[in-house]
Amino acid sequence: MKKFLVALFLGGMLFPLRWASGQETDSLEVLYDRAPVKTFLGARTTLVSDQLTTTPATGYLPALTGRMSGFYTQQNQGFRVMNTAVNYNVDAFLGNRPIAGAGVPSENTEYNISLRKQSPIVVIDGIQRDIFSIDPENIESITVLKDALSTIALGQRSSRGVLLITTKKPQAGKTRISFTAQAALQEPLNLPKPLPAHQFAYLLNEALTNGGNQPAYTEEQFELFRTGTDPLRYPNTDWYDQVLRKTAPLMRYNLSANGGGKTAQYAIALNYTDQLGLFKESPEVAYNTNSSLKRYSLNTNVNIRITDRFTLGMQIMGRIQDGNEPGVGTQNLLETLKKTPNGVYPIKNANGSWGSTSYFKDNLLALTTNSGYRQDHLKDVMANVDLRYDLNDWVKGLSVKATTNVAVQSLTGIVRERKEPTYQMVVGSAGDTSYNIMANAVAQNNDFNTVFNARYWFGQVSVNYERDWAEHHFQASLMGDQRRTLFNYDLPAVATNLTGKLSYDYQGKYMAQAALNTSGFNRYRPGYQYGLFYAFGLGWNIKKEPFLQDGASWLDELKLRGTFGKTGNGVDNSGYYEYRATFMATDGRIGSGVYSAGTERSELRGYWENTYLPNVRTWEGAYKLNVGFDAAFFGNRLQWVADAYYDRYFDLLQTRGKSIEMIGIAYPAENIGKTNIKGLESTWTYQQQLGDVGYFASANLTVEQSKVVFFDEQQQRYPWQEVTGLPMGVRMGYIADGLLQSMEEIENGASTVGYDAQPGDIKYRDLNEDGVIDQFDRTLISSTKPLIYYGFTLGFRWKGLECSALLQGVTNRELYLNDRAIHGGFLGFGGYEQAYEPILDRWTPETAATATYPRLTIGNSHNYAESSFWIRSGNYFRLKNVQVAYSFPASFTEKLRLNGLKLFANALNVSTWSAYKGQDPEVPTGAYPLQRVFNVGVNVNL
Amino acid sequence: MRTKEMIKRYMRFSIVLMGMAIAMLSCKKDYEAEPLENVTIEYVFDPNDSLGTNALRFLNSMYADMFPKSVSRNRVDGNLLDAASDDAISSNIEDNEASRLAKGQYSAYDRVNSDMIWGDCYKNIRAANVFINHIDVVQVNDSKFDPLPSGLTVKRTWKAEARFLRALAYFELLKRYGGITLMGDRVLELGEDVELPRDTYEACVDYIVQEMDAIQDSLLAYPVPSPSRNSHRVTKGAAMALKARILLYAASPLANGENIDGSNPLTGYPSFDAERWARAAEAAKAIIDLQTYALEENAKEIFTRQYNKEIIFFKQWGNNKDIENANGPFGFGTQIGGEGRTSPTQEFVEAFPMNTGEPINTSGNYDPNNPYTNRDPRLAMNVLYNGATWLRTPLQTFDGGRNKPGGTELQTRTSYYMRKFMGDFEEASQYSEVQRDYILFRYTEVILNYIEALNEYSGPVQAVYDQLQALRQRAGILAGDDGHYGIPTNLSKEQMRDLIRNERRLELAFEEHRYWDIRRWKLAGEVMGKPLHGMQITQSAGMLTYNRVEVFEPGFTSNMYFYPIPDSEVLKNTHMKQNPGWN
Repeated sequence: MKKFLVALFLGGMLFPLRWASGQETDSLEVLYDRAPVKTFLGARTTLVSDQLTTTPATGYLPALTGRMSGFYTQQNQGFRVMNTAVNYNVDAFLGNRPIAGAGVPSENTEYNISLRKQSPIVVIDGIQRDIFSIDPENIESITVLKDALSTIALGQRSSRGVLLITTKKPQAGKTRISFTAQAALQEPLNLPKPLPAHQFAYLLNEALTNGGNQPAYTEEQFELFRTGTDPLRYPNTDWYDQVLRKTAPLMRYNLSANGGGKTAQYAIALNYTDQLGLFKESPEVAYNTNSSLKRYSLNTNVNIRITDRFTLGMQIMGRIQDGNEPGVGTQNLLETLKKTPNGVYPIKNANGSWGSTSYFKDNLLALTTNSGYRQDHLKDVMANVDLRYDLNDWVKGLSVKATTNVAVQSLTGIVRERKEPTYQMVVGSAGDTSYNIMANAVAQNNDFNTVFNARYWFGQVSVNYERDWAEHHFQASLMGDQRRTLFNYDLPAVATNLTGKLSYDYQGKYMAQAALNTSGFNRYRPGYQYGLFYAFGLGWNIKKEPFLQDGASWLDELKLRGTFGKTGNGVDNSGYYEYRATFMATDGRIGSGVYSAGTERSELRGYWENTYLPNVRTWEGAYKLNVGFDAAFFGNRLQWVADAYYDRYFDLLQTRGKSIEMIGIAYPAENIGKTNIKGLESTWTYQQQLGDVGYFASANLTVEQSKVVFFDEQQQRYPWQEVTGLPMGVRMGYIADGLLQSMEEIENGASTVGYDAQPGDIKYRDLNEDGVIDQFDRTLISSTKPLIYYGFTLGFRWKGLECSALLQGVTNRELYLNDRAIHGGFLGFGGYEQAYEPILDRWTPETAATATYPRLTIGNSHNYAESSFWIRSGNYFRLKNVQVAYSFPASFTEKLRLNGLKLFANALNVSTWSAYKGQDPEVPTGAYPLQRVFNVGVNVNL
Repeated sequence: MRTKEMIKRYMRFSIVLMGMAIAMLSCKKDYEAEPLENVTIEYVFDPNDSLGTNALRFLNSMYADMFPKSVSRNRVDGNLLDAASDDAISSNIEDNEASRLAKGQYSAYDRVNSDMIWGDCYKNIRAANVFINHIDVVQVNDSKFDPLPSGLTVKRTWKAEARFLRALAYFELLKRYGGITLMGDRVLELGEDVELPRDTYEACVDYIVQEMDAIQDSLLAYPVPSPSRNSHRVTKGAAMALKARILLYAASPLANGENIDGSNPLTGYPSFDAERWARAAEAAKAIIDLQTYALEENAKEIFTRQYNKEIIFFKQWGNNKDIENANGPFGFGTQIGGEGRTSPTQEFVEAFPMNTGEPINTSGNYDPNNPYTNRDPRLAMNVLYNGATWLRTPLQTFDGGRNKPGGTELQTRTSYYMRKFMGDFEEASQYSEVQRDYILFRYTEVILNYIEALNEYSGPVQAVYDQLQALRQRAGILAGDDGHYGIPTNLSKEQMRDLIRNERRLELAFEEHRYWDIRRWKLAGEVMGKPLHGMQITQSAGMLTYNRVEVFEPGFTSNMYFYPIPDSEVLKNTHMKQNPGWN
């Protein structure tokens, strides 16, 4: 928001352009550097601050959905997942023993993100670090780099594309102070709809009798549930109402200062975020038990010009992040919420104690509000120093640069879990009431865990030579860097790169660039640690040709560009020295031992052959081709950027096809797979300023398709069983032909071994026509169409008023309804768990014609086998984000002695159209739900 | 600018730059190149390790990994394997792995993982081969160990133990799949040919028998020195018992004469040979002749007292309430516990004779309205029925009773709960920990193996009667006027066969024998081809009414006499032949 205002008040005429499309004027952020826009040959998309801050969220990922071509997101949680578990095995003799090679856990627990179907490398201010938890307010720009040439300097990490984050940088000028305060309400969306107690009882009886079992409830009991006349013994509690709040607040505050003189400039940003979760709290409990996130962050940047030739940049970034959740843990609580039926026990018994049963031992509300709490605490500091020395007066065009970064990070957890006793109320035949204890009280414990500790070091030295000879522009650079990560007990992971680059252009018309990289990582087998990667690009700015200089005034720019390269994907998938045949102590089965000796049962320690056979494992490779153009028309009012790419990934780590178990040990992953990924990406932006009114419309569209070329598939018996040649990640299963309607149909059709089908069961297609449904009838059941996703942004401004909106959608996506609690119900071993509204559409003899679900059964494996019956369209279209803002005119703010004052309101996930209505198209059932967020804020500039 | 000045200026700069470069590139080595906590084979089998510490640890891990992988009687999806036989059913009405086994609801692809073990056995075999191939380099100093009988060395004993564990893994495979691939002493590496064909049933039997013959004198003998430290180790008796068991399986109809696939050498012998019964009888007799093992007087204590004279080989378990918690009767509340997962069938209850030893259908004493009185005392040792005292209260398994209340919670489906393996909690107020081992071989089985084989080979000779009587005497059957414990005289071979089989069913109930016995006798098609029953007991006006009701419908087809080889193994291995009827 601050950036928005800085842009608004200082940006002058540039503003509408930046506002709309994020195009910088002449240079852009690239990996480890800035580069001129006009000679850039790669594929990229850039968002600037103004486009990020309209999204009310705690991190920047929510702001990216729908705004960047080639970048796909799917939210899978509505709240961050806490991490309080230790990263070691506790050993009685040796103390804490490491779980080797666990790796730094990702901060991103809410989104699946992919950039051209790869998981991108996050580079924040020139440093490779997976930091997602930064307030969008502190970010200057986000760029995705998608092609080989733009990412080649990452060497063994260059295949996956880059998500480049640049925080706000110092700008010379008078001190500018900006303060933003925002408050939002978060509201859960698309919660599952549980059955009321009487429907549950009725349908459970139906399911039981369908399987030839005794019904569980009598008609009397059903009536008691239905009428609710005995709410203690026959309750009907909607647990979703009891456990979840209707809304939860989110507050954010940002204070920033920016300015400086000729010698030194600075930028300081402070941020405080306070997000509450959806769980209810008890007024009797003095401490916070709800999920929450509190974050304090600080980012300072200082640039100092020591001499005319020597500049120094320093950055310190620090975060403290405290999470909280109910003592039983969010996931645990959500699972219990999903499985507890409405009528199984009352919240409180007649004597005021917590209700429960022997199967549902814990009282759900007691778990929510009275189970203590757990917290995680992240502490994170990173410091950068950049030195640039200009050697221009020695050798013209020569400069050197050195960067070093040190960072420490630690995550600790506190678990203060407790439990209150629960009782089952039993009313005897004589009317006497007794209370049987079901779960004992557990006193609050107090565990402190070090989840992880990490140290990072990064150093980079580069020499750059840049020179113009007449109309020939020439640039060369040589860069070496090393990145060391020391994580918990692991040996340091050391990644080293040496990159040389050459770049040439003639008049800015013909461009050629080439780069060569050698990259190594120390966790591969010696001899397989290094790889050689290369990339080159060509560009032709047609607009600069004489034949377009005159007469084509409608065309402002037309640049054709293409890159090709060989890139790598290693480091993160290396495993922990897994190429060796090693033996590990495998204790902890019997006490601290593996087996016990004699009648004393004294503990014996063990050694095991490790999971892997000795092998050669190294980086995966890719050949990536990208061609595209940048065009602008009608006085730059219409811009069109399009890219097409074809990436072949090879040496993908997979288990060999002939991984025969008789070898007696697990097979290692080897570099054998091959996959193609290709796609089209296009972005159109139209913008215009008409007097006081400015408006823009932008659209982006991505089409992507993948193909498994080789994964050492074994010869299948029937062609329909084959997966090679299909897109990645397809689903195989039976083809369902509706529901079986009669015994004749069953007798004449194919059967499943060991299963007596009944009318109302799913009918599977017998592909090989042998009369039996088995693995040979499994085939492709998911769509093979290319995934299409798109976004529209629209906006206008008139004097101080601005509005913008983002609409975003996905097509050719599928959902698989595999949550049996929702789509089948009555799960559990020793009790029957909750059922949900979808099963009301089950098959019964009466509803045979209209039923969309199979007959009800208990624990039936036939109907829930993987089949096309459970596939639904996952297409959706969201009004993702809207913003309205009003900036008071200068004449007014001057009276208040302010530089600016702005009020704004925005919202996230406003409205959704989805092809399948039964659940959220993104967040799976049972996860922390997706939220709609309404946010208001004020920004003051001093 | 003058050149000299420039050189001077940049000299300083160059030094700084060079210094940085050197600092970066010539970092002192701070860490080892590869993690030292991941040890290599030279460390595990170290020639200088005179105590063989690490090698012994490797052997310990092999013990830990032997069948059953996780020590629990309820290892089939929370159920006993016997809940997939005609002795019991799972109390869980949902499809579960035990009910799928009982119904035959599985295929080569859709497997019942808890019992269709394959890769785990080959892991055991590989581990044994690693041990056998490398142990020789370790120079073990025998004087540091418990003194061994003459002729034995520590290393020789260990190696023999590894070979036994390997044979045990082969036996578990053979029982499930028929002839399987024998790996010899090979340890295969990546790139070596793993597409190996199966060996014949006969070759597998011969291999295991030869192995047992070869190692039996290299093993400790019962009683082992210092049982407090060594009772868990493989003994000579264990090797002999495995040999006796596999010879019994090899002589039984499924393999011997009634091959399900004609002369397919993978699923049994191509033709019948009566001598196989002789070998089986002889092998079992050899253990009896050792005279080191004996029947425990109190059969319940076999499972609750460590290292009693009946135990031949076991997997270490521990002191716990696992059996009671999982299978104890439902209805005592969560404080006491008991999930009642196992429901013994009416068929099983009816297999117990009267206390006179007469079958219930021929005895005049049997009262259908009072079906549990005057019965074989073993019934009460195996089954908890309505009215039986448990935890100081009479069990109520009539409809609506405390231990079978109906409603939504897991409880018996037959009105019976399992009693076997549990401590004596009849008069206790709650469960307490029981000393527990997972017994794999015990003396009663050896006797039953012996008389079964002997009767098949020689008919009901006196030795058969004598051993049967000993079992019945231990069981507490009344001796009767003739002192024959209800065993009729002059039985035909066929009559004696039925009697022995029934006795085996009762003695070895719930110990994962019945499930395989009905297969090797080739009775599974008949036994598992008809509905299983429970008792429905209704109470009105203080009177109990007993009704025999159908509770479960199993299913069995002849291909199920052997499990299917995993589909993936057949797909990946061009030489791997699938079992008949599983394509």
